[in-house]
Amino acid sequence: MTTGEQRATDLEKVLRRGQQQLAAGSAADNWLSAVRERGASDVMTMARPDRKQEAWRYTPTSFLDKAEYAPVVEGPFGAIQPADVEELMLGDQQGTCLVFVNGYYAPALSRLAPGQHMPQVAVLSGQLGDVPAQLKAHLDGIAEHHHVFAALNSALMSDGALLYVPRSASVQAPIEILHVSVGLDEPGICHPRHLIVLEEGAQAQVIERYCALGEAVYFTNALVEIILRPGSRLSHERLQEESALAQHLSDLHVRLDEGSRYKHVSATLGGAWSRTDLRLNFAGEGAQADLDGLMLARDKQLNDVHLDIQHTAPGCISRESFKGILDGRGKVVFDGRILVAQDAQQTDASLSNHNLMLSRSAEVDTKPQLEIYADDVKCSHGTTVGELDHNMLFYLRSRGIPSARARQMLCQGFAEEILDRIENPALHGRATRLLTERLMTYSE
Amino acid sequence: MLSIRNLTADVDGKAILNGLDLEVKPGEVHAIMGPNGSGKSTLAHVLAGRDGYSVSGGEVEFEGQSLLDLEPEERAARGIFLAFQYPVELPGVNNAHFLKEALNAQRRARGESELDSVAFLKLIKEKIAQVSMQPELIKRPVNAGFSGGEKKRNEILQMAVFEPKLAILDETDSGLDIDALRTVSDGVNAIRSPERAIVLVTHYQRLLDYIEPDVVHVLAGGRIVRTGDKALAKELESKGYGWLTGRDEAA
Repeated sequence: MTTGEQRATDLEKVLRRGQQQLAAGSAADNWLSAVRERGASDVMTMARPDRKQEAWRYTPTSFLDKAEYAPVVEGPFGAIQPADVEELMLGDQQGTCLVFVNGYYAPALSRLAPGQHMPQVAVLSGQLGDVPAQLKAHLDGIAEHHHVFAALNSALMSDGALLYVPRSASVQAPIEILHVSVGLDEPGICHPRHLIVLEEGAQAQVIERYCALGEAVYFTNALVEIILRPGSRLSHERLQEESALAQHLSDLHVRLDEGSRYKHVSATLGGAWSRTDLRLNFAGEGAQADLDGLMLARDKQLNDVHLDIQHTAPGCISRESFKGILDGRGKVVFDGRILVAQDAQQTDASLSNHNLMLSRSAEVDTKPQLEIYADDVKCSHGTTVGELDHNMLFYLRSRGIPSARARQMLCQGFAEEILDRIENPALHGRATRLLTERLMTYSE
Repeated sequence: MLSIRNLTADVDGKAILNGLDLEVKPGEVHAIMGPNGSGKSTLAHVLAGRDGYSVSGGEVEFEGQSLLDLEPEERAARGIFLAFQYPVELPGVNNAHFLKEALNAQRRARGESELDSVAFLKLIKEKIAQVSMQPELIKRPVNAGFSGGEKKRNEILQMAVFEPKLAILDETDSGLDIDALRTVSDGVNAIRSPERAIVLVTHYQRLLDYIEPDVVHVLAGGRIVRTGDKALAKELESKGYGWLTGRDEAA
């Protein structure tokens, strides 16, 4: 920021500046113009979220008043060398890793698994060749603009990962999408846009990560669409470790067709402001989703997860388990909505949100909601907010473990019930290590 | 080794220990018996340093040094071990990791070198066999979903690994079937040595059929009211506690 005077972000101005940039770019992504136009027209009609909207009641967007976020221009990031991001990479990985720097595909940092032609991998900017027609057909197929940020993503998307796994194909090594944010002179906003399509009977694992080089102010406004055709299986593991000054929004849309299976684990550990919207639609019978999430909110961090689970088809199973750890003046917002439509008989859904408060100054706003219109279903929900258990602490200390370490072990234990669901050992190790480091600065 | 003089303590403002004296020497096994509510568990917890028990008078010395100002972890490092009546479940905390962390914390505090993973695994394997524990329990979260007997065995495993100078077993025999009782007793007998002392807090004489005590005390109303040898335990079994406490209470 060049002046001391406070500047605010005007989302329409962000849109205009972003559109000018896109107009100056290459014509390779002309096929996106209809999608972008739909996004732009929604941006013009949608207001910035405020506390009067239930979905934003506890999640202020006042950071937009404190700085002017400008669209990130591609260019200077080519200078980043693999050595610069080495610390961010997961060890022992064989699969494809698509690295994006400030939202733009970085070929020099990415790894394309040799001979891995089975899944079709492309990026929105066309840098990995023409986007296959199947992917073009699915893009923007299920994203709904529930808020202006999603519309802004559609209007200004310029890069992102596109994965297509053909019928019955099984991708062995995990495919990784890694975002790296680098500090700029001005706070930047970028709009990563990803699409994952698994055809009938296909199987894949996708790892999605958001990291930063150094502490910087920026806003990652991501949108992910996932389409699971009948009988396909996707394991989706996410780790958000953004800069402590950053804002992060992930808007995920998942469609499950008949008999498909979606396994999701997310750990949101970073960012000053983090929000994840996960909208899941059971479109076909007998599908199953297992969603687990860990939210960390240390001092002055806000960590929000909104789930919107729509059981529209019968006989589907969904299990949602989210945990929050709060310290200092951290804040967790959890809103878990399960809708069971009238025709969705034999639905089996359970939702839980357990929170561990390490400080009396922290705040949890948790709201599980079951809306059930069918009569033959099994649904449950439960939420708790608690402190560290004194009996557990004494037990550890009576075995010789010092108090601070005992607290840390109990927090890790609390988190491990979620992190344990991460299948990739390197990702599990990284999430555990980051959590441990961040819990070191225990406030009380 | 352990010297308690005129100890008084209360819980939530209620006096539980009322001038308790106890002297335990290295190599000895003491049984502390008594009716419910006599202060047995309070004594065990005060020795381990639990919050919420306020010592209002008296002294406790361990190896010549005052114990009461030490944190629970410092007491553990000096060689005091409490086997809990109700071992605590620690979801998400791996049992092997917990044991290694605890053992090395104690060793660090004593200025000893830490055990590396290889040395620890070797030790733990040997101790698991010694206490007849199912090996898979070591890979699970501490006590989480363990049966009552498994939890008690896990306490004995910890005792075997830490090799404390003074082991206090708080009603470790309660709720055990005969096989588990035998395992627990074998575990205690295995660590008996001329350098170590053991305090068994128990309501029933049954445990003393397996672990032969050198001294038996009867605790009532927060004081030791009678001290004898193992014959005293037999007498309690046939006569109950009433003749010592002045109350009509069954053993």
